Amino acid sequence: MINFEEELKKFHPSLEIEDAEEAIYNQDLTDMADILVKMIKEAKDEEE
Amino acid sequence: MNCYYCGCRLSEHDFCTSCGVDVSMYKRIMYISNRYYNDGLEKATVRDLTGAITSLRQSLKFNKDNIEARNLLGLVYFEMGEVVAALSEWVISKNLRPNKNIADDYIDMIQTNASRLESINTTIKKYNQALIYCQQDSLDLAVIQLKKVLSLNPKFIRAHQLLALLYINNEEWEKARKELLKCSQIDTNNTLTLRYLKEVDNVLNMEENAKPSGRKRGISEDVIKYQSGNETIIQPVNDKEKGGASSLLNIGIGILIGIAAVWFLILPSKVQSEKAEVNKELRTVSEQSDAKSATIDDLNQQISTLTTQNQQLEEQLENYVGTNGTMSIMDELLQAVQVYMETPTEITKIAEYLDKIAEEVVLEDTSESFQTTYQYLLNVVGPTMAEQYYTEGHNAYRSENYADAIPNLEKAVYYDAVHANGDALMYLASSYRNTGEEEKATETYERVIELFPNTERARRAQQAIDEGQE
Repeated sequence: MINFEEELKKFHPSLEIEDAEEAIYNQDLTDMADILVKMIKEAKDEEE
Repeated sequence: MNCYYCGCRLSEHDFCTSCGVDVSMYKRIMYISNRYYNDGLEKATVRDLTGAITSLRQSLKFNKDNIEARNLLGLVYFEMGEVVAALSEWVISKNLRPNKNIADDYIDMIQTNASRLESINTTIKKYNQALIYCQQDSLDLAVIQLKKVLSLNPKFIRAHQLLALLYINNEEWEKARKELLKCSQIDTNNTLTLRYLKEVDNVLNMEENAKPSGRKRGISEDVIKYQSGNETIIQPVNDKEKGGASSLLNIGIGILIGIAAVWFLILPSKVQSEKAEVNKELRTVSEQSDAKSATIDDLNQQISTLTTQNQQLEEQLENYVGTNGTMSIMDELLQAVQVYMETPTEITKIAEYLDKIAEEVVLEDTSESFQTTYQYLLNVVGPTMAEQYYTEGHNAYRSENYADAIPNLEKAVYYDAVHANGDALMYLASSYRNTGEEEKATETYERVIELFPNTERARRAQQAIDEGQE
């Protein structure tokens, strides 16, 4: 059975247009490729 | 694909042909990203938008520079009514690849239409407000607000889901189902939608099962089933009505009830409406009659006015026109002129004609030439006549015969107002006073003051006026 109160908690306010800029800046764009490159770089540094 | 270290284009080898760095892992990451992108694309084409979002997000986690994946993610968000999320993805995409990027077109499409952007923002604000209403337990307001949101943005999945949840909470299962089906049409595989839909379907099935059970039983009792070859024949049992007398009685009662209903319910309203109609017509006729009466009164008044005017004009015309059809006053003037031309010494005769003219007509109303001729003749006869009338009037005055004195002195003054240096006026005023016509006496004394100002005569006239007032 659906619990209304519990279900309601799953709904969050939507971002308004004015907040879009902040959302874009705060987005973490780090990807696996970045992590790999970083790891390789760190490994190289350790070797040296 | 380029080397992450030197930026040189990579070959089929697992190392960079330019800098020699090992790129096997890097290539694998790129492949996985592309695989997720393909998966996301496939899901998006069959409208599994939630699945597409998951795959595309995964794709971007492996390679943030996968522009196609990012653009598609934005498009999927846009389709679900999440415009701000879509814009965010497109803006990042454009930032990563400024040229030859379709995200540019998507952003332009939204930004160039100011009213659409405003509408999107309003939708989001209303959705957030609805959510606040839900948290404040103002669920009716939330429903109204969400309906507005969906009228502006019918593809807003979250709004549909929240509205469905509110309907579920209110046990309006059919409405909830309708909203959830709309969600399913936009996003076929949304977990939340499917979960709600399952719940709603369960409740509806339970209700449906509870309802027709009795009916089914009824049918099974009222029909005969039998097999004819491959077909199952369901034949209703033809139950005959029992008791013909009771059915006749029922029909009779029904007819009576019908008649009573017509008599008590329909007939009064019909009579009422007919009465109202007749009253309305009566009012209209009465108004028309009033209007016509008013018109008749006006016309009667005009007729009486015109009749009076006509009579006055006829009288005037009679005065002007003599017995032989010529204008009598003109005739008299011509006769006066004729007498003057033939015998200029016949002053009395000329004066008679002039007197007649003066009695019959107002000189100011006649033509200019008439007035000129009349005045000329009056100047000719004036001094002689004035002297004649003055003498007679003076004599009568001295013998205290004021009744004779007044007309003669009036004539003398008429012919010559300043005759005998104002004596005619003074005697006339005195005669008026002696006969008790005080008003006329005062007027005549005032005329003396006016004609002989600052003279002994004027002083005496003023003294006489003062005495009269005392």
